[in-house]
Amino acid sequence: MKVTIEKAGSKEEEQAIIKAFEITGDIKSAAELLEGDSGSLPVTLDGKTFILKHNAIYYIESVDKKTFVYTKDACYESKYRLYELEKLLLGYFMRCSKATILNLKKVKSVKSEMSGRLNATLLNNEVIVISRGYVKEVKGRLGI
Amino acid sequence: MGKLKLWFLQTMMISFAILVGIILEGVVYLIVDNDPLSEMSLDWYQLLSIVLTGAVCSLFSVILLCRESVSKKEYLIRVIIHCVLLYGLVVLIGKIFTWYTKLEGFLLVTIIYFLVYVFVWVSTIFLQKQDENKINKALGDIRDEE
Repeated sequence: MKVTIEKAGSKEEEQAIIKAFEITGDIKSAAELLEGDSGSLPVTLDGKTFILKHNAIYYIESVDKKTFVYTKDACYESKYRLYELEKLLLGYFMRCSKATILNLKKVKSVKSEMSGRLNATLLNNEVIVISRGYVKEVKGRLGI
Repeated sequence: MGKLKLWFLQTMMISFAILVGIILEGVVYLIVDNDPLSEMSLDWYQLLSIVLTGAVCSLFSVILLCRESVSKKEYLIRVIIHCVLLYGLVVLIGKIFTWYTKLEGFLLVTIIYFLVYVFVWVSTIFLQKQDENKINKALGDIRDEE
């Protein structure tokens, strides 16, 4: 496959377009790599360590200096702090409040409130608050 | 956005809105009264009063409305308190700085205040809904299949 790389004006303008005749496993892997979904994160549950793929994570929350990683139907603990995970998780992961990192790819819909914050309903029907201060960043990340 | 920056921006916005309100009041007097200058005049201290009102009103807004971790019901109560407090403030400053001298002037200030208050909320909610629709559309393009 022919690969062309052009210099973007800024970080926000960065994008990759893949023109493929067929969506093969390699193409999917390349897309995941570019979107930052290909990595994995060590987490613990009941004393056991698991390796969690980034694309399984719904959101991450910090409570009482502990970091909890939520998937569709489970909650794990991570040794990383929220600011470390913010740097580690790329793609559509973003801070949505002081104590939460959200995977935008797991959001079913958002609903605005009078106070300016957004209530994000996830694919597992959990509701996460996107603080007013982060709404602009969400829009920027989605290219709005 | 920092609360200080928000306070400054809101002061500018409210001051501008009051100025527009006073201009509208002048236009109404011009239409209904043959001698509008008998009721309407704008001295230097009145311009200062507009900025002062803007600053105090926005201070109330920052204190009362910049709270996200409250329930819908509490937020609505805060909006009502905010509306009444601001109205009292506008009436008081209007009296001190002679924005109105007669009952008709007072009623006009009241009408303009509530119109502007409702307009600001309606336009805010309208813009929020537009953003909500854009975000939902964009989320649909990137959403994972489960």
